Amino acid sequence: MSNFWLIVAGMVIVTFGSRLLGLFITAPLPPFWLRFMRFVPIAVFAALVTPNIAGSSGEGAMRFVAAALCGVLAWRTKQLWIGLFAGMAAFWLLRSVF
Amino acid sequence: MFPLYLGIVPFAVAFAVTSRAAGLSVWETQVLSLLVFAGASQFSAAQMFATGASGPAIVLTTFLLNVRHALYGVSLARVVALRPWQRVVSAFFLTDEAYGVMVASGAKTFAFLLGAELSLYVSWNAFTLIGALAGSLLPDPVALGVDFVFPLSFLALLVPIIRARAELIVAIFSGALAFAISSKLPGGLPILITGVVGSLLGAWLTASEAPPTPKLRDAIREVA
Repeated sequence: MSNFWLIVAGMVIVTFGSRLLGLFITAPLPPFWLRFMRFVPIAVFAALVTPNIAGSSGEGAMRFVAAALCGVLAWRTKQLWIGLFAGMAAFWLLRSVF
Repeated sequence: MFPLYLGIVPFAVAFAVTSRAAGLSVWETQVLSLLVFAGASQFSAAQMFATGASGPAIVLTTFLLNVRHALYGVSLARVVALRPWQRVVSAFFLTDEAYGVMVASGAKTFAFLLGAELSLYVSWNAFTLIGALAGSLLPDPVALGVDFVFPLSFLALLVPIIRARAELIVAIFSGALAFAISSKLPGGLPILITGVVGSLLGAWLTASEAPPTPKLRDAIREVA
């Protein structure tokens, strides 16, 4: 992990840089890029979910069921942690049963 | 305000456990929380370290995930009177939650902003440490299925921020695109490509709408 510190430095620069940029910016961004930024979390989060649901352990079906429960609860309650905990609990329960 | 802290506790622990499962040490896990202090990007970085993604891919994904903080900065800078050094300090600790606290309270001082930011910073780092240490006591995180926390966390993050039709279209399109290209491309490249293409689609779909402004409820529900 010799690259670790270099990568962390890069992460700090782009994260701190984004936060600095906003606090020092006074002129408004072009409307297209404001709209682009609104969709970044949605597109990136979706990209982080779908390839990683199934996993590599052959538990794709029960993971999918647990993820569906997590998604429904997160949608109904609007609480990140309720969906997260219910999903993990369902996954572990299904694992112990099957 | 309390649910904000309740919300970040499991997320900080989950990040630390995932980070340890991805092969990062306790210290490396803590360094990410101390220096980067941005939950979603710390999560994705840990995952990308595990899959052997390149440094530039990790940094660019971090940028894509965190560039939204600029929106909160723009909004705060209009309300809170800040000297240049105060802008620098408050920028380092700025999170979605801190922005949410500021808007909810109506406070307009640097002292209040820094207090909100630092209390979140201390909580996030304390529970990162707890998670990192507890995670190292677990016999085999992958055998326990702890890696499943990762997609679940982002699903739980994603669902509440989908409120409009265009957002639903972008989420479904992005999920499908990432799934389709993830088996053909290495490391974080699918995340990067999907982040850019999905956001372009969203900006294009909403071309007739007025420019968005950050909303309080969004800020509260997203993570650090």
